[in-house]
Amino acid sequence: MRKSNSLLTHIDWPLLASFFVLLFFGIATVYSVSFSEEHPNVFSLSEKYGKQMIWLGISLFLGLIIFLIDASIYVKYALLFYSATIVMLIIVLFMPPINGARAWIGIGSMGIQPAEFAKISTSLLLAKYISELIIKQQTIKTVLYAVGILFLPSILVAAQPDAGTLIVFSSFLFVLYREGLTFDPIILRLLNSFRGLKFKSTWIGSHFIPVLFVFLLLFAVTLKLNDSVFELWFFPNIKINGVLFIVLILATLSILSIVFFRVFSTKRDRPKILLVIILGFLILSSLVFFVNTTFNHLAKHQKNRIELVLGMKEDPNGNDYNRNRAMAAVGSGGLTGKGYKKASVSSVRSNHVPESETDFIFCPFAEEWGFGGSIVLILVYLFMVLRILFIAERQRSIFIRVYAYCVAMILFYHFAINIGMNIGLAPVIGIPLPFFSYGGSSVISFSIMIFLLLKLDSNRMDVLR
Amino acid sequence: MNLENRKYVIIAFILFIASVYAFRLFYMQVIDDTWVLRAQEIAEKRKEVVPPRGIILDRYGKKVVSNKTYYNLMMVEEKFGVLDTIAFAKLINWSPLEVRKRFDEIKEKEGYYVNKRTNKKTSNYQKSRAYPFLKELSLDEITKIALKLDEFPGFYEEVASMRSYPFSNSANILGYLNEATRKEIDLDRYYKPGSNLGRSGIERYYEKELRGRKGIKYIVTSATNNAIESYANGKYDTTAQQGQSLTLGLDILLQEYGEKLMQNKRGCIVAIEPSTGEILCLVSSPSYDPNLLVGRKNISLNYPQLLKMEGLPLFPRPLQSEYPPGSIFKLVQSLIGLQEGVIQSNSSFVCNKGLVGCHNHPTAQSVSEAVQYSCNPYFYAVTKKIIQQQKSKNINSDAEIGLNLWHKYMTSFGLGIKLGTDISGEKPGLIPNSIYYDKWYGKNNWSFSTISSNSIGQGEVKLTPLQMANIAVIIANKGWYYAPHFVKSIGGKGPHKKFTVKNITMVEQKNFDPVVEGMRRVVNEAGGTGKLARLTDIVVCGKTGTVQNPHGEDHSCFIAFAPMINPKICVAVFVENAGAGGTWAAPIASLIIEKYLKQTVNAEREKSILEKHINYVKVP
Repeated sequence: MRKSNSLLTHIDWPLLASFFVLLFFGIATVYSVSFSEEHPNVFSLSEKYGKQMIWLGISLFLGLIIFLIDASIYVKYALLFYSATIVMLIIVLFMPPINGARAWIGIGSMGIQPAEFAKISTSLLLAKYISELIIKQQTIKTVLYAVGILFLPSILVAAQPDAGTLIVFSSFLFVLYREGLTFDPIILRLLNSFRGLKFKSTWIGSHFIPVLFVFLLLFAVTLKLNDSVFELWFFPNIKINGVLFIVLILATLSILSIVFFRVFSTKRDRPKILLVIILGFLILSSLVFFVNTTFNHLAKHQKNRIELVLGMKEDPNGNDYNRNRAMAAVGSGGLTGKGYKKASVSSVRSNHVPESETDFIFCPFAEEWGFGGSIVLILVYLFMVLRILFIAERQRSIFIRVYAYCVAMILFYHFAINIGMNIGLAPVIGIPLPFFSYGGSSVISFSIMIFLLLKLDSNRMDVLR
Repeated sequence: MNLENRKYVIIAFILFIASVYAFRLFYMQVIDDTWVLRAQEIAEKRKEVVPPRGIILDRYGKKVVSNKTYYNLMMVEEKFGVLDTIAFAKLINWSPLEVRKRFDEIKEKEGYYVNKRTNKKTSNYQKSRAYPFLKELSLDEITKIALKLDEFPGFYEEVASMRSYPFSNSANILGYLNEATRKEIDLDRYYKPGSNLGRSGIERYYEKELRGRKGIKYIVTSATNNAIESYANGKYDTTAQQGQSLTLGLDILLQEYGEKLMQNKRGCIVAIEPSTGEILCLVSSPSYDPNLLVGRKNISLNYPQLLKMEGLPLFPRPLQSEYPPGSIFKLVQSLIGLQEGVIQSNSSFVCNKGLVGCHNHPTAQSVSEAVQYSCNPYFYAVTKKIIQQQKSKNINSDAEIGLNLWHKYMTSFGLGIKLGTDISGEKPGLIPNSIYYDKWYGKNNWSFSTISSNSIGQGEVKLTPLQMANIAVIIANKGWYYAPHFVKSIGGKGPHKKFTVKNITMVEQKNFDPVVEGMRRVVNEAGGTGKLARLTDIVVCGKTGTVQNPHGEDHSCFIAFAPMINPKICVAVFVENAGAGGTWAAPIASLIIEKYLKQTVNAEREKSILEKHINYVKVP
């Protein structure tokens, strides 16, 4: 009795509400986009909306069960869940491929995608591991263990191949960052093996998220300038390519910072700073060369895709077909949209945007509701993610906090990549929009993710480790 | 190390991405219209629905011009897949080379535009668009092809409509349709490459009425270019409206009969209903079957031939041929003389062959008798009295005053000016005035004697056969006429406004009586020149004309109206190089009158006339 009371009083209603709002928007859009005159009933099982209704029903039923089960089992059996999904991820590699990827277990349309559930179990195990970790006593072993938890499912997902989910797994890095996990033990071991160096910590090791962004920016710039040729004003006859140009800029920046620190740092620190700058320059330069060489040796279609995202190429009827059609659908929505069920570019009937009920479901929504609808949708997602972060931060239990962070970052990744590819800001990577996209595994796994969080959160007053 | 604060890094990251997305969406959906245009390009098609042209009926409601269905074989290159050119060529019975040539031709015909952004010359041709590969196929032709068309994706048949002329005549009246030229397309956006417009005749004059209103349908198309639904539930669509049907004053059976009568002759018949000005028939001989100029194929094949053919069948003689009127002109001279008071109805002039040649006949004791005998010296005298009225002491300036007065009368009869009928290309004829002769002879350097030939319809005066018939109309109406016109009613709402304006001549009604009596005598009294036009139970009033022709045999001319009381039909017949008006034109006119008033003709009489005509020999 006490438990069910605490569930009702402690459940986080704002999160639950935003969850239902998105579910409702989702099914409404699936209904609109794949509407069939012959089977107008939203429950007609021959149509996608009918099936989606079943997935929603199953999700809510599973949510009820989650609410009834004692929350402590998730800590207790985290490793078991994790192992089970890993086994499934291995099994899935022996299944016949569908659309070029071995992502499904099961027969025909009734299969499940273990990768969707691997996100949950990985979150749970990571939460359990970090909650048991003494953060100030990290060793190479603890770091490798944490990274290993993420690495194992990532490799298996990559083997399917499922680039989308692989990228989503990188969202856990944000969680590690928040929890203070540092790569310092490994970096220090390498760095201090140099004679005369004695670093106690590196900024890079713990602030890997900002570092990651610097790397990504450098990536993008390198690719963007891949084919460019520069002529230097002081050497008018010498032409250099983009890579050399970037390295030249990096070198200039390095020299400037050496000069800067010569003036402003103590004599004792100078050798160290010099070393850091030189090392940084070498690492970044080799990264630039590495990226450039890899890019030039990529398969043509992969190269194409990258070039399209960076806007280096236009190919609206060829390789960029999907993205171009998707953007036309979104952009043609205007301020107020074309009206419900009036999407002309992205409806399944017109079929200009492929997968408009799954990966490209934002298209019909944005086309039908325009900027007004789109901004509401973004705000609802933003609210949900921020609410989860709020929930995370109010926990006494590290386990729940880590889990909540995992959920928030996974949802945000899905949101950002999915909508980003609809508006030309992210590469076309097939991942579903949470609670929106048609598909059993996606709807059910995201719902479980939220219900687990709600359940754990409702127990926040109990001291759970 | 305060880990708590790291949440702000993450929140900042999330807010940053979300706001970038919000701005991006605002830009894409609200500010920038690139994607709206792109979506239209992708998913919306503006489809024009061309209505069938209005049909044309004769005065009794018989279909003179109707539409018939034909088929175009359309192609969409994008959907070809792998096209087996050889098999396709075999299907349409062409050589593969011809098929390839046709593809190039289609592309070339679409032309090029210069892309302003890239400055590149780009073809208007689009692979995703439908173009007619074969045009104007008959049902038989398309069925042969359609059977196997499934094997060639990207090809499909399309229904269109084309003119059809059930009566195979009145080609010069109806005109024909032809593809709009580049210039016409630029001038009027209604037309698109391949659309037809009226090139001559009624089809041209009433183009706007006949073409109707195009419908525009906005449809949503799928990725495979199939229409799936109408855009915005058809909110912006307009429906096509068929052009208005035209009812002609023409009696198509009379026209058919007239063309039969004029076979193997050059010349024309014009018949007008005097009370309305409606043209009952307008025969130009030789003529051609209007069905010869239906569709691109036929036109390119037949038009050059017709253009070069002997007798110029494309030349609409009744409107564009200007002939000296000959003796029929004497009717107008008498009317002016009577109105001016220079003669009375009982005036008599001696047939003085010294002034101008004449044939042997009793002396005319009145205007009526002068008309009956067609006495040349009589009208020489009448016209002299009109021109030289002694209003000036100088004979030359007296002639100038007289001629200009005379010219004014003529203009009120619609002579020397365009009558303004509803077929373009009409000629005004020629009625000289003082300026005209001043140019020839110098001012004050001419008088009546210089221009006296005009008094008997020779010399400088020239009339079109339409004007000749209109003289009969004016006499039948005793002083007024409506501009002769073909279309009696546009879409059931009456004729064009300008055909409801009565034109009143300068001659009073009472002065017509002696002339009408004279015309009765021409046909019905002994010594009349037009007795071959006599009908047993209808009083025909007529006037013959034998037009001297320096290039060969005289032209035979006859105008008439009937019946005398309450006239129903006015006719002008002009047969080139046929000799005397009484022998050739008069019987033809009488048959037309009989046919129109009684629907049938006296077979025996018709036979005797036609037999005589078989022996007719054209003089080149």
